[in-house]
Amino acid sequence: MLSGGNKSENQKKTEEQPQPDPEMKTEEQETKPTETPKDVSEKPAETAPEKETETKAVTPDEKTKEAKKTEKPVEKTTESKEEKSKEEKPQTKRSDSMTLLEGREEDTITRDNIDVNFKQEVMDAGADTLALCFQCGTCTGACPSGRRTPYRIRQIVRKSLMGFKDDVISDDALWMCTTCYECQERCPRGIKIVDIVKIVRNYAAQAGYMAQSHKAVGSFVLKTGHAVPINPATQDLRKQVGLDELPPTTHSFPGALEEVQKITKATGFDNLIGYNWEKGELE
Amino acid sequence: MAEQEFAYFLGCIMNNRYPGIEKSTRILFDKLGIRLKDMEGASCCPAPGVFGSFDRTTWASIAARNITIAEDQGNDIMTECNGCFGSLFEANHMLKENEEMKEKINKVLAEVDREFKGEINVRHFAEILYHDVGLEKLSEAMVKPLNLNVAVHYGCHFLKPSDEIDLDNPHKPTILDELVELTGAKSIDYKDKMMCCGAGGGLRSRDLDVTADFTREKLTNMREAGADAIVNVCPFCHLQFDVGQVETNDKFGTDFDIPVFHLAQLYGLAMGLSKDDITVDAHQISTDPALAKLDVITGGE
Repeated sequence: MLSGGNKSENQKKTEEQPQPDPEMKTEEQETKPTETPKDVSEKPAETAPEKETETKAVTPDEKTKEAKKTEKPVEKTTESKEEKSKEEKPQTKRSDSMTLLEGREEDTITRDNIDVNFKQEVMDAGADTLALCFQCGTCTGACPSGRRTPYRIRQIVRKSLMGFKDDVISDDALWMCTTCYECQERCPRGIKIVDIVKIVRNYAAQAGYMAQSHKAVGSFVLKTGHAVPINPATQDLRKQVGLDELPPTTHSFPGALEEVQKITKATGFDNLIGYNWEKGELE
Repeated sequence: MAEQEFAYFLGCIMNNRYPGIEKSTRILFDKLGIRLKDMEGASCCPAPGVFGSFDRTTWASIAARNITIAEDQGNDIMTECNGCFGSLFEANHMLKENEEMKEKINKVLAEVDREFKGEINVRHFAEILYHDVGLEKLSEAMVKPLNLNVAVHYGCHFLKPSDEIDLDNPHKPTILDELVELTGAKSIDYKDKMMCCGAGGGLRSRDLDVTADFTREKLTNMREAGADAIVNVCPFCHLQFDVGQVETNDKFGTDFDIPVFHLAQLYGLAMGLSKDDITVDAHQISTDPALAKLDVITGGE
C-alpha cells in the first residue's frame, strides 16, 4: 500500500506527543495518507516537509558523487585532471548551500500557521463533507475559473482542511469562483465544494477581506431591498409595456424595506459592510 | 381542474432592467390559464453567490423572509431567474432539512414578526412549463414559427447542485432545448455549452476582466457554431450576454453581436408580440438581425 510505512511512523509520532489535543489527533490521522504524494506545486503540510526537502536535496548530489567515483579511474589521466577541477567547483558551491531551509524560515510552514479549529468551524457552518477530500484534483480539472485565473479549488479545499486559515482567507483568488458547481457535480467524494468556498469567504469577509465593490452591492440591498435597484430608464420601459412603473417589491412597499433593514441589523450585516445608517452610505 | 396559481417572485434584474421578460411571462401565463400572484414587498432573493459569500445567516434570513411571503399566500414560488431560483431553493431546502438552522433563522425573522414554516416549494419558470404545462399545450400558445439557430445557455443554478434540484442531467440536459425547439427554432450544439457565463459568485462586481474572459469564450464557441441568437433562463446571464457582450468587445477588441433572448422573450416572439412589447429594442446588443431573419419566412409585419 501507498502509505504503509509512512502511516506506522505517523502513528508512532502521534503516540509520542505528550497528550495531544484530541482535535489534532484526528486531524493527523485523517490527513496523513494524503500527504504521501509529493506534489511540489502544493505547499508541503504539517510535520513532514523538513525531512522531505532534506532528502530530496541530498539525493541528487550523492548520486553524482557516486557516478564520478566509478567514472574517474577509467578515464585518461591528462583529461581527467581538467575534468576534475571543472566538476568539483560547482559541487563545492552546491554543498555550501546545502541547507536549503537556511534563511527561508518565513517560507517554512509550521504549526503556527495552522488554526486547529478552522476545519471543524467550516464543517459546522454547513460543509460537513470537507473532511472527505482525498485531493484527486477532479475539481480543479473541471473549473472554468482555474483555466484563466490563479484560482485552484483543490488547494482551497486542502488548505481549509489543514487549517491554513490566514493563508486561504487572505488570497484574492478565493473570490474568482463563480459558484458554477462544475467541481461539485464531478467530485467523486460528493463534497459540497461550493458551500466550502462560500463559508470560507464568510470568514474572509469577517476578517476584512471584502472588496469595496461587494460592500457596495450589499449597501444597495440595505438602501432599496434590491441588489440591482430600479432606474429611470427602466421605469419608463415598464410604463411603456403597461407594467407598474415600480415593481410590487420593496420598491413599492416601504414597510417591507424596513423589514429587510431590520434583518440586516439583527445579523450584523450592516456592520460587516460598514454601512452608516445616518448617512445612508458606506463608511 | 382548479386553476393553477403561483407566487411570482420577480427578483431584481428582470423587473429592474429587462421588464419585457416580465411582460411576456404575464401574457404567456394568462394564455395558459395559470395565475401569477404578486409577492408584495419581496426583495432581492438575495444573490446566492454574493450574499451567501458575505454572510450565510444574512443570506438565509432574507431568502427566508421572501419565502414567508409566499407561505402566507399559500402558493409555491415561481421565479424565472437562475440566481433567485438557486438562492430560494437552497434556502428553502436547507431550512426544511436543518432544524438547527431553521431555529436560528426564525430567531432573526421574529424581529420582523415572521416565521419560516417550510410549507411551500420553490420552482423555476422553465421547469413549470415543462412539467406542469407540457410541451404540447405550450406549443398551442405559439402562433409564429421561429426559424432561428439558437445557442441555448442553461446557466449554472437552474440544474445544479443536481443532487438537490434533480431536474435533469447537469452535464447533458435536454429540458431547455426541448422548450426552445417547440417554437420551431433549432437548438444548436456548441463547444462547452454547459459552461458558466462568468457573472456569478460576485465575480462580475469584483473582477469584470475575468468575467468578460468567460463570456468571450462562450461567445466564441456560440459564434463558431453559427448561432443567430442566445437563449437563456436567467436575467443575470441575460445581462451578462447583453451588457457583457459590449464589455467583452471593448476589452478584447472583438466584434460579437449575437442577439440575446430570455426564454420568455422567445415565447413572446412566438406568440406574435412586438419587439417593444418584450423590450428587446432596449437591449445593448441589437436583436434586429434575429428579428429580420424571422420576417423572411413570415413576410414581415
